[in-house]
Amino acid sequence: MTREIKKGNRIKITTLIVAIILSIILFVVGIFVGSSHMGFVECFKALFKISTPAYNNIVWNIRMPRVIAAFVAGGGLAISGLIMQTSLRNDMASPATLGVSNAAVFGANVSIIALSGGFLITGNNVNNLTNAINPFATSVMAFIFSLLSIIIVLGLCKFRKFSPSTIALAGIAIGYIWNAATTILQFYATDVGLSAAVIWSFGDLGRATYKSDLLMFIIVILGLIFFMLMSWRYNTLLSGEDSAKAMGINVELLRFLSLLVASIITAVCVSMLGMIGFVGLICPQVVKRIIGNDHRYFIPTTFFSGSILLLFADILSRTIGNGSALPVGAITSLLGAPFFLLLIFSWRKKDA
Amino acid sequence: MLKINNLTFKYHKKAPLVLDDVSFTLNDGEIGIVLGKNGVGKSTLFKLIVGLIKPISGDILINDINLNKLKIKDRAKMIAYVPQSIQFGDLSVYETILSGRVSFYSLFPSKKDEEIVQNVIKEMGLEGFLNKNVNELSGGEKQKIAIARALVQEPKVLIFDEPTGNLDIGNEQLILNEAKKICIKKNISVLISIHDISIASYYGDQFFLLKDNKIKYSGNKEVINENNISDIFDVKATIKDIDNKKFIYIEGGNYEK
Repeated sequence: MTREIKKGNRIKITTLIVAIILSIILFVVGIFVGSSHMGFVECFKALFKISTPAYNNIVWNIRMPRVIAAFVAGGGLAISGLIMQTSLRNDMASPATLGVSNAAVFGANVSIIALSGGFLITGNNVNNLTNAINPFATSVMAFIFSLLSIIIVLGLCKFRKFSPSTIALAGIAIGYIWNAATTILQFYATDVGLSAAVIWSFGDLGRATYKSDLLMFIIVILGLIFFMLMSWRYNTLLSGEDSAKAMGINVELLRFLSLLVASIITAVCVSMLGMIGFVGLICPQVVKRIIGNDHRYFIPTTFFSGSILLLFADILSRTIGNGSALPVGAITSLLGAPFFLLLIFSWRKKDA
Repeated sequence: MLKINNLTFKYHKKAPLVLDDVSFTLNDGEIGIVLGKNGVGKSTLFKLIVGLIKPISGDILINDINLNKLKIKDRAKMIAYVPQSIQFGDLSVYETILSGRVSFYSLFPSKKDEEIVQNVIKEMGLEGFLNKNVNELSGGEKQKIAIARALVQEPKVLIFDEPTGNLDIGNEQLILNEAKKICIKKNISVLISIHDISIASYYGDQFFLLKDNKIKYSGNKEVINENNISDIFDVKATIKDIDNKKFIYIEGGNYEK
């Protein structure tokens, strides 16, 4: 009997391996392409630090932290979205369902507009990384406000036993409050402050440094491990709340912890890189349509699919930008949305 | 043995009582059947017994262990539940049944868990569709999978909330035969709610007739008589015995007027 059972998992394993290989390929391609017109050979040399100092610098201090960020944040946002969708039993849930992104944007606005924009780092200018007084100040503010949003939403929902629809609605309402606060703040901003604040909210992988990459990596990997350990519980949760409880799952606790971990992943990624939409919404949906929602495979495959999407969007944003990288957040949606539409209208089998 | 003592429940403080001081006992190896009108509190009673909602007062005991004092995880090892509307994730039949043992393995299934699952699969003759997506099965097959998933919990008590509501008569018989088999073979108590009184009287050992938030009549097949059924359902019921089986029909209503 055991042999027959293994056969059923072959497609899931194959898909996972393909996703891993594809993400590694895109990771490498991401190092070799960019806006500086560096040749393939030079780039290869720079990888071993035997090219010109400028090229070495570009490869190791600009491109490398950037592709690492794309890999880690893409995967992190994708699993965050997946866990939101599973624990709220709602396909519309995304990493930002608890108002995390809106709160992060507000926090960044406070830092840039209210506390003067001297803290801001933008774009690919390496000098900024060394010259800025505190390059992390804006990210720290963004992170603090995202955490605040998580605490408010989960704290409120404790009174309603973490009912999924209540959480989703409360998250949306809180999101609107952050949006409104941001608008009011921006109304009083200077031209420079306003543009800096708006540019911050565009997702931009150029802000990544090794430090921020390391922080994101730690949080995302811890989250991934936690989700993987809970994968059978998520599988049980698919049978509905009552059945899961009757099978011995503490549904409220599982939901609380899942939302907390998923939101912290989102908070870290958004605070470091700005808003990168759609990855968390689309990747779990695409993967589910290919391999189903057995979370043992669903979670890791979704992770790598997120990496693939963000790496691909980043490569595109740097090649079509003609010298400057377009905001990757816009590219993911621009690329992802039509693909997603194609998928939901062409794949009729599992539209539930 | 399932023992219910003075179970009382209402949904919130100012709401009317849904169940008022309900007590009964169901022995091992017996099928208990709960009968009553829609909305009388059958599903609520079942949810209370399984522990999905908390009673205002009263105890639920299985072999003298008070379920209300157990953790969710340990409770699942005593009692299993097949709800009225069954849902499944996009998993294979095998994985779906294996997910029923989650309270035993907590993180990942062990060899022993897989063995128990494979035994249940053999017992119920489900070898044919192990790798099928459980959502692509028919209603009767799904019901069987839900039963198998409940069985791998190795419960002392099994609760079925209207297991045959959406099934044709063939599948209804199949599922109830399965329930009877489990009940006798594993010597566990099975509590079922169904609407077909003729079938209920054929399969049941004990009967609990609910009306006005209470168990109004209870006992063996004797309680399925014209007076009690007429009272419980507010109809004029006639019951005939043919070959020692009870057949019921309801006098024509006054639709002609």
